[in-house]
Amino acid sequence: MDNSPVYDRIRKQLPGIFITLALVGVLTAILFFLVWEVGLAHGSIVYLIPVVIAATRWGIVAALVAAVCGVFASAYFFYPPAYSFRVKDPQEVIDLILFVFVAVAVSQLANRLKRQLEMARQREIDVRDLYAFSRRLAVAFDVSDIHAAIEDHLASIMQRNVVLFASAREASDSSGRRAGMTVPQRVLSEVVEVASGHHDVVGGAIVTAESGEIWLVRAVSPKSREFGVLAINLGHESKERLNELRIRVDAVLADATATLERLGVAHAISEARMRSQTDQLREALIGSVSHELRTPLASILGAATVLSAAPALRQEKKLTALVHDVRDEAERLNNDIQNLLDATRISSDGIKPHVEWAEPADIINSAVERCRHRLSDRRVAIDVPPDLPLIHVDPILIQQALVQIFDNAVKYSESGSPIKVAVRTQDGRLNIDVTDKGAGLTTTEAAKIWDRFARGERHAATTSGSGLGLWIASAFIGANDGKVGATSDGPGLGTTVSIELPVSQDALPQLESGADE
Amino acid sequence: MSEPSPIVLVVDDEIQIRRFLRTGFELNGFVVHEAGTGAEAIRTATLRPIDLAIVDLGLPDMDGADVVERIRSWSSVPIIVLSVRSAEAQKVHLLETGADDYVVKPFGMAELLARVRVALRRQMRAVSGEPTVKAGPLTIDLAARAVLLNDKRLTLTPKEYRLLQVLAQHAGNVVTHQHLLKEVWGSIHVHDTHYLRIFVRKLRQKIEPHPDTPKILVTELGVGYRLVQSGAEGDAGTWSDSNAQAKTES
Repeated sequence: MDNSPVYDRIRKQLPGIFITLALVGVLTAILFFLVWEVGLAHGSIVYLIPVVIAATRWGIVAALVAAVCGVFASAYFFYPPAYSFRVKDPQEVIDLILFVFVAVAVSQLANRLKRQLEMARQREIDVRDLYAFSRRLAVAFDVSDIHAAIEDHLASIMQRNVVLFASAREASDSSGRRAGMTVPQRVLSEVVEVASGHHDVVGGAIVTAESGEIWLVRAVSPKSREFGVLAINLGHESKERLNELRIRVDAVLADATATLERLGVAHAISEARMRSQTDQLREALIGSVSHELRTPLASILGAATVLSAAPALRQEKKLTALVHDVRDEAERLNNDIQNLLDATRISSDGIKPHVEWAEPADIINSAVERCRHRLSDRRVAIDVPPDLPLIHVDPILIQQALVQIFDNAVKYSESGSPIKVAVRTQDGRLNIDVTDKGAGLTTTEAAKIWDRFARGERHAATTSGSGLGLWIASAFIGANDGKVGATSDGPGLGTTVSIELPVSQDALPQLESGADE
Repeated sequence: MSEPSPIVLVVDDEIQIRRFLRTGFELNGFVVHEAGTGAEAIRTATLRPIDLAIVDLGLPDMDGADVVERIRSWSSVPIIVLSVRSAEAQKVHLLETGADDYVVKPFGMAELLARVRVALRRQMRAVSGEPTVKAGPLTIDLAARAVLLNDKRLTLTPKEYRLLQVLAQHAGNVVTHQHLLKEVWGSIHVHDTHYLRIFVRKLRQKIEPHPDTPKILVTELGVGYRLVQSGAEGDAGTWSDSNAQAKTES
């Protein structure tokens, strides 16, 4: 089948031409009737009606057909000699010229009107899309949201596949598979070039991929590189159409970047980037400090434990005591380092609880186990009622908070005094109370103990510590949606520290039937 | 021990750590091989007969987890990794990769030795095909599918027995939540930790003399559960507890 554009265009015109012919036919019949019955002298001017109709509705071809048919019909039927195309009257020629002129002029006017209408409609769609785009930007949560919004906006406006790369690294790291389609290698390398600022082609670069598809690669905005680089799949297009599309991309991007700039998105993106870089730096620092300080500590502690068990030293009471001192001090140092690391984590909003369903008794037992050495000369009583609800928390964080609280209870109480751990449920909350018979709290102390670097002034000279412990405990409990508080009957009368954790009864998943099979 | 000295491979890039581990192990009748890099560790494990490997996670040439995976790909030798605190996800990953157990740095020699003995005993049982596992007053006969507490037979539901069976197969070693859930309830319940909590609670009521302070089926917070083998925990005290009185409290 012949699919050439000319053939196509004619075929599109056919219905219009047929209707025009029918119109001319009907009009001729009416005129014929009027001329013979009423005695109308001249009817040819009436043929302007189908010409104008055809010109406005179906364009110039149909209009010309109407004009020619109209002239021939009036020549045949109405001008003498009747029923012959021969014409004596020059009026006929003027008619023809008039008809053709009207046909061309009207169809041109109609065409222009139609195009303007089309443009107005397109403009309206663009504005609506742009509005939707800025609304989406307004609710964007992070940089990737903004990028996704730009990507979707362009894809919907251009009706083409659009891929946005945030940075040169993203393009070079990606294997080219994005959003369910593959970006060809050649396009990717151009994206890398543009994103790293090597190529700065105004209006973007055209890349023909291995498959023959044409891609347009250009920066979203030539001014701020934060917005990323676009790759648009234009498919197989002719040269003129390509230029048209490029102009359209320019227009759409100009609107989009204006919106982005108005909303200060560039600033927001670069700030977010900087923040994530700071985060990385801090994590690296914490990691290396942790490693650098811990590794020698591990050797010291390990060596001390080997020495304390060595047969050669067993008889030497004084030396054994020294070895134990080395071990205990190293242990204390290790705890201090851990506290500092925890504090760093907290102050940088870095606690991310790994919640799971946990058994409250397990957490308490494991905290007591971790403090076994420190608690060994206290009379520890644990009161855990059976059938406690499971709690949805990060058990490690709760355990570490409890360790800090135990540590504190030991620090401010006499050797041999009791420490009581009691668990109870109340109003859908689980309470863990740790009660000691130690130094207690004055009213001012009670208000301050949860502050960072808070040290009790009464004890600052006699006890060691950084003042971080309880602050860490409260941050860890807080990260699990819990609360921690301390009450005391007064100085010297002991302290009760209460941890309150939520028990979401209705959220507790039930065992599926058959789980006990 | 009447058997020949067990051979342990110590993989750590810190010479000081290797030195105290060598001394500690040799004082307790072990033969020690050392490796300072992952490549050296894999070579030694391939060329020389070893009974156990201690692998530090921070090695200069490769990730400790890769060393575990490479050794595990052809050998069933017990592997204990040296990990750091607050890295529960990493511990779980290592246990899934093939490590038998972990010890958190810094650690005491007694703690490590206890873990090593448990791992060696398990390996020996696996080789000899010994079907019974003893944990305190509890005896699990894997062949007869019988569980005895103080020589009295217990009635367990099929799921309770399956849970205990998986733990007994790894007696002494920690078994991750994910592994237990997969083995007992199937892969689709891998994240239903509450199943485990509820069943462990029921199981403890039946097997623990004091279910509130379990001594047989113990929790490794954030990681999994461990069936504590009889005899093992006697010397498994942490490095700090043998010294309860030495420190004078203020």
